[in-house]
Amino acid sequence: MEEATAYLRDGVLSHLEKLEAHARKLALKQEETQRQQENLARLRARIQELRLQRDELQTKVNLQQVGLIKQEGTTSSNVEPIQAAEIRGQALLKWKVENVKAMLQAFHLTGLSGKLTKQGVCFCISTAYEGTYLDSYYLDLLIQQPVQIRHHSVPIFIPLEQIAKKYLQTNIKCFLAMLSDHLNAYAGRKYQADQLQDHYSAFLEGTLQRNSLHNVLFFNYDVETESKTFPFRAKLVYGDLTRSLPTEATITCKERWALSCLSLASGRLDFIC
Amino acid sequence: MSASGRRRRGALNSGFTMDETVAEYIRRTVLKIPRHEIMEMLTMWEFLSKTQLQTINVHQIKEKISQEVVELCEENSASIKQAAILDMIYNHTYRNKKVWTVYQMTKAAGEETDSFNLADFKYKFKRSLRSALKNVTINFREYEDNAIWIRIAWGTQYTKPNQYKATYVVYHSQTPYVFISSLRSSLPLLCQALVHASSYHDIHEMELRSRCIDSLKDIVFKRYSQTFQTYHPRPLQERNVAPEKVDPRIIQENKREKERIQRVNQEVFGEGLQPKIEFAQYKLETMFKGEPEMDILTEKEPFRCVVKFSSPHLLEALKSLAPAGMADAPLSPLLTCIPQKARNYFKIKERKGILSASCLGP
Repeated sequence: MEEATAYLRDGVLSHLEKLEAHARKLALKQEETQRQQENLARLRARIQELRLQRDELQTKVNLQQVGLIKQEGTTSSNVEPIQAAEIRGQALLKWKVENVKAMLQAFHLTGLSGKLTKQGVCFCISTAYEGTYLDSYYLDLLIQQPVQIRHHSVPIFIPLEQIAKKYLQTNIKCFLAMLSDHLNAYAGRKYQADQLQDHYSAFLEGTLQRNSLHNVLFFNYDVETESKTFPFRAKLVYGDLTRSLPTEATITCKERWALSCLSLASGRLDFIC
Repeated sequence: MSASGRRRRGALNSGFTMDETVAEYIRRTVLKIPRHEIMEMLTMWEFLSKTQLQTINVHQIKEKISQEVVELCEENSASIKQAAILDMIYNHTYRNKKVWTVYQMTKAAGEETDSFNLADFKYKFKRSLRSALKNVTINFREYEDNAIWIRIAWGTQYTKPNQYKATYVVYHSQTPYVFISSLRSSLPLLCQALVHASSYHDIHEMELRSRCIDSLKDIVFKRYSQTFQTYHPRPLQERNVAPEKVDPRIIQENKREKERIQRVNQEVFGEGLQPKIEFAQYKLETMFKGEPEMDILTEKEPFRCVVKFSSPHLLEALKSLAPAGMADAPLSPLLTCIPQKARNYFKIKERKGILSASCLGP
């Protein structure tokens, strides 16, 4: 009431002006909100549309991969040669990929393969013994001066540091060859020891005693004659770490007068070698 | 009544009375073993015969079981050596109850690795330790994975060895690593003996400690799964991810981001199970970087604090942080370098040398 009288004091026309301005502001605001809502609705509709389109294209791609469209190709003659060409291109690509994969597999089977990395190269040394493929070991090298080994999966008891000190900076081929020899020999010795344990456990007494590098082996076995059985103990020493054959074999017998049966004992060694 | 009668009879037969301390030690060791493991451990011990083992009733209370075992040991004239072996069997089975510290031995420059002789090692070790301290009990036991377990009970010049606080050492031949647990004093003596016996030059403690000794071995022997870039993909382990039955109406809008996180995580951690460690500790000695107005803290001295992460299986937890959305991938290299650097105690100094390999006290 006081406000109205205050306005009337200024003049009726000015009051009317103020009311008009107020009404206009409200109208503008209403328009604004309405516009925003319309916008929102429009964008939602657009999203729906795009999703539908995407689904359509997805199904088209799927069908094309299965080859269904080719069957319907009778309707449009232009589509067919293009589709056939695409499929031929794909087949060619597939053949090339298979080829490359086979070549990489062949590299891997040779025992030494590698892949270039961002800062160097990662070698893979795969080991084998008499036709059976065993574990693979990896070596990640940084190519800079001096060449460094970033990390590796070589077991700790292989003398990697010594071989690296001798050959890594001067002759990488030699380094890799030496390391490969060591790893292959170790894998071979371990495989032989495992095979002996698994397949000849009937002959052996107790288990095989080995050390980490598998270069000293102890085992007990019995030799049976008509009269009695002689317990023998064999010790195999692999002096050369790059070979998988022993350099020294020592056989002891607990019985004194078994010396005459040494020939029997040496005959029994056949199943080991 | 019959128990004491049996004891007297056994003593009369062999003319040997078992030492009271040995009897008590065996009794306490058997009491520690859980009921379902008792028969297995006694069989592994190979000290009591099969007939003797059959007389033990495993279903009575443990006090009685341990008493029966002690009586059988009396019949067989057990000495401290056999008692120690039983203790070693128990501790090997429950090796994850102790905290193990890793030590590394170094050779002097120019020495070649020689072939390892177990008998030689044992002899040199015993001789070195006994020359310094007469009152020690030393026992060895070899296991299938080329691990040599050594149990040492320490005494002093005037007292007998305390069997209840023995130290355990695990050594793999032809490796420079030794795993030691429960060591209180006498560390220099033990180190000297180890270095002498295994023909190395020096030994130092690595900043690597955990309860799970198999995981420690995986870390230092590099047996855990590392990722290497290779063209020849190794045969993938079967993953336990069953295809999720997701409602096809649910669309993953940030699938690409999730795949990126998965890929980065795999590059850093590898595919297999991580080694099990329980904590990682970072001792910070960096300067405080704060508002210039806070004069109190912008002193010239570094702001010292210690950050410790602990978890039943720390590395697996770190591996699952990024896929769970709790951290950005890739994780900070300070966390991911633990298996590679083979340490879980770090000292972080200022920018100049971020990870300085200095020894930390306990």
